[in-house]
Amino acid sequence: MNATKTYFKNVWDSLSTTLVGMKITGKYLLQKPITVQYPDERLPIPERYRGIHYLEQEKCIDCLACARACPIDCIEMDAVRHGKELEWISFTLDYQKCMFCELCVYPCPKDCIHMGTEFAFVTYDRSELKHDLLSFKGMAKEARIRMKEAEAKKKEKEAAKAAAGAASGAPAADPKTPDAEGSA
Amino acid sequence: MDGGNIFLTLLQKVAPEGVPAWVLALTAAVVGIAILVGFVSVLVMFAVWLERKVSGHIQCRYGPMYAGGWHGWAQSVADGVKLLAKEDLIPLGADKPLFVLAPALMLAAIFGALAAMPLSPSVYFTNLNLGLFAILAMSSMTTIGVVMAGWASNSKWALYGSMREAAQVVAYEIPFGISLLVPLMVIGTFNLGEASARQAGWFGMHWVMFQNPFVLPAFLLFFTAALAETKRAPFDLPESESELVAGFMTEYSGIRWSFFFLEEYAAMFLMSVVGAVFFLGGFESPLTHFARESFGAGSVVHEVTAGVTLLLKAMFGIFLMMWLRWTLPRVRIDQVMTMGYKYLTPLALLCVLGAGIWEAIF
Repeated sequence: MNATKTYFKNVWDSLSTTLVGMKITGKYLLQKPITVQYPDERLPIPERYRGIHYLEQEKCIDCLACARACPIDCIEMDAVRHGKELEWISFTLDYQKCMFCELCVYPCPKDCIHMGTEFAFVTYDRSELKHDLLSFKGMAKEARIRMKEAEAKKKEKEAAKAAAGAASGAPAADPKTPDAEGSA
Repeated sequence: MDGGNIFLTLLQKVAPEGVPAWVLALTAAVVGIAILVGFVSVLVMFAVWLERKVSGHIQCRYGPMYAGGWHGWAQSVADGVKLLAKEDLIPLGADKPLFVLAPALMLAAIFGALAAMPLSPSVYFTNLNLGLFAILAMSSMTTIGVVMAGWASNSKWALYGSMREAAQVVAYEIPFGISLLVPLMVIGTFNLGEASARQAGWFGMHWVMFQNPFVLPAFLLFFTAALAETKRAPFDLPESESELVAGFMTEYSGIRWSFFFLEEYAAMFLMSVVGAVFFLGGFESPLTHFARESFGAGSVVHEVTAGVTLLLKAMFGIFLMMWLRWTLPRVRIDQVMTMGYKYLTPLALLCVLGAGIWEAIF
């Protein structure tokens, strides 16, 4: 009798537990999925996430503080100075080496290098992992304008000086101009 | 026995005088096969897409979302193209003729079984008066394909998988057949179209399911046995991927592998159709009843409604199979055997006994 009871209990258990399981999976089937369509949609990233760096190039003064702070020397920068203005050649960060320690961010006197939120940078070739953080090469538009303005001012000054010199009848003022250029 | 198909009847009407009969028969056969294969292939593609969506949503994912645009509807098409374009690999130690023959045999068997399926009350490929018998015979032939594939692959994974399939099918053919005896006793015909027609009645709800109290347990037994017959989880031991890589399909790839896949889903569809016809009213539903009453039996509207009804019922059966697959864990081989021999078979016999007594009394 007991065996018969166990037998039918087994039958009932297998049936009822299957239904319980189906109820649970059915509930999940109808609920909205919790995943997102990744490249199109992204989950929010924490504010202090340390992803790929980004550089505010207009602020940067090529002081090399970040490159010196980097414990594994993965930052390299190169720029030519034209007086106060910078002509950018490169600002590379080698992500084969970078360990995302954020130590480059703190010493920056102009607060221009930041850790971004982008984390996906799959490449077909290792060399592509050396990112150039510059948004433009050469001089900034504003810098160019500022430089032109300075040059124009200088020329004006020279012209004024030359005029003044001509008026006072002292042509000996000319040799002094190279010095003025150097101090500008 | 009216063995001819609807296309032959149509051809005989439109064909000019003097065309030999065998030409007509051959054309009708070719057209019928083309329609059956096309219909089933499209259906399988849809079922595969549905499976991926159902499994995704049960696991709180989306499933395919990109291919083709709306919810990745063309995913199966893309997969099919990929499978067709794949290299045709045959392992070095494999028994080549058997290896090549196995998937073809399975596909032929399952399409042979599907030929007995009516598309609507008067559209059928073959109108067999032993339709269910033919389906049972043909669909159990797929086992030979599985064993053949496992043996020919010359791989231990494949061999284990096919041995399990053989053991499982032997165990489950019995309750599968016996549980089908119950609705057969109630409607008294093997012919699928006829069985459906006999369930027409009060508002199209004169289904076998409501005729006899022993039909519901018989349906549950039938469904469980059908899951095992089609190698679906929780009885997918022949291809248990966590233990046997892919079981009997381990050494297959590309187009031959896709034949196995097609066979699995076609078998699911076939089992669902059998379940729908012999338990759940076949073509009959309130909608079909309404169409018949207002447009007349045999009208286009009635035929289309009937066909769509059967298709929806079959799709619901497929959906239930998917739901179960993503709910239950795979059972062990000894549990499968225990369930088949100790539980399903005696319970099916009990159902037959009960249903027989009930039919005799009422």
